[in-house]
Amino acid sequence: MKTQKFKGPLAWASLIGVLTVTTLTAQVRDLTGDEEFYTSPVDESTNVYDPFESVNRFTFVFNDFVFSNTVQPLVDAYTAIAPDPVEEGASNFFHNLRYPVRLASNLLQFRFKGAWVETGRFAINSTVGIVGILTPADDYEGFAPIKSEDVGQVFGAWGIGEGPYLVLPFLGPSNLRDLAGFFGDRAVNPLKGPFSVIDDWKWEWQLALSGTENIARSPQIIKRYKQLKGSSIDPYSSLRNSYSQYRRGAVAE
Amino acid sequence: MKFFSYSTFLVLGLLFGPYVSAHGSQKEKLQGMIDATLDVIYSETHASLSANEKQSKVREKLESSYDLDVMIRYAIGKNWRRMNKVEQLEVLELVKKLVLKAYVTGLEGKDRPSITLAELTEIGKARIEIESTMVLDAKTYYILYRLRQMDSGWQIYDIVAENVSVSSNYRGQIDDHFRKGSAADLIARLKGLLVKDDINEDTKI
Repeated sequence: MKTQKFKGPLAWASLIGVLTVTTLTAQVRDLTGDEEFYTSPVDESTNVYDPFESVNRFTFVFNDFVFSNTVQPLVDAYTAIAPDPVEEGASNFFHNLRYPVRLASNLLQFRFKGAWVETGRFAINSTVGIVGILTPADDYEGFAPIKSEDVGQVFGAWGIGEGPYLVLPFLGPSNLRDLAGFFGDRAVNPLKGPFSVIDDWKWEWQLALSGTENIARSPQIIKRYKQLKGSSIDPYSSLRNSYSQYRRGAVAE
Repeated sequence: MKFFSYSTFLVLGLLFGPYVSAHGSQKEKLQGMIDATLDVIYSETHASLSANEKQSKVREKLESSYDLDVMIRYAIGKNWRRMNKVEQLEVLELVKKLVLKAYVTGLEGKDRPSITLAELTEIGKARIEIESTMVLDAKTYYILYRLRQMDSGWQIYDIVAENVSVSSNYRGQIDDHFRKGSAADLIARLKGLLVKDDINEDTKI
């Protein structure tokens, strides 16, 4: 008798269970099938305004030639001579020098926490870290590395559009907004013109500093560029898309 | 009352049980696949394998968990219809090889990265995203895995590394290619990439 009483509710519950699972399964699936999904737009827009494509493609080939025949041999020699800790130390040193750009960019976006973290990191790394060669700030609570900000991102955060995509000779991918940001970065950097704090800052020294900075930063960039080129059907298109997605993401963060 | 409690729990269990565990198990499945592929690249037992053998082993591990065709088809988009059946199959195979080559050679000479899966977010009725952080050479990278429930089960359809979506990147390239080129050109280009190793080769644009 007891068993019979139990069977009734169990049957009902099972029926309801089966029905709800079936309904849920139907709800969980998209309304579109697999074939429609494959042709649906990708989540990240691939649209980049590129009215100067033919000129950009020409500059891209020029840069590739310079990169392969001038920068890469220099960087190969540098990585062969310099042990890994030296490479890392040089990269850290130049990153530390760009603190004013990161500070100004955080402040211009009202990111006071970011400005505080950058300032703390600069203070710790410049002193305990021997002029920024080491990064002891990584181990201090609240001063872990954060994403770098620049003036181009500030313009983006202010709602200024990207403008046309550009490939700049020697500098690589950019857009009109980031080109303006590039000059903005220089303006807020006390080591670079036009508002340098060093009075007798001769162009030879400026060139030497920029050249060394670029070589110190290049091993990472070259690795990524080689990887991109080695796996791209169209390296120009791939770099344009990667650059635009990366910058859009950086502005949105 | 007893019936109400019993059936309520049963229904709730049936209703949400499979749903929660299906999503939760995706994280475990993904972590398992990542670990298995990294084991092939870094474990001592596979140290004597050539680059090609490692790529084949990695492929084996990947394909035992996910259907790679899904991500490639999604990247090809509407251009799929511009190819005949033979070309479609050839492109699928070549892109698969190219992706595996980029993955294995990209980690060559580096320490084993540590990959930690974080939040799982439902982004649509049949889509989820799994966030992860990868620490490689003392640097942290943010990687997002996007999965969709397909006829063949949950499949990865996109990987977003540091804000750059791989599917979007290839979709853009393939769209650009088909504006001027043909499927045969695409196959030739992919074959060329698979034998190319050096940056000093001419850039064809």
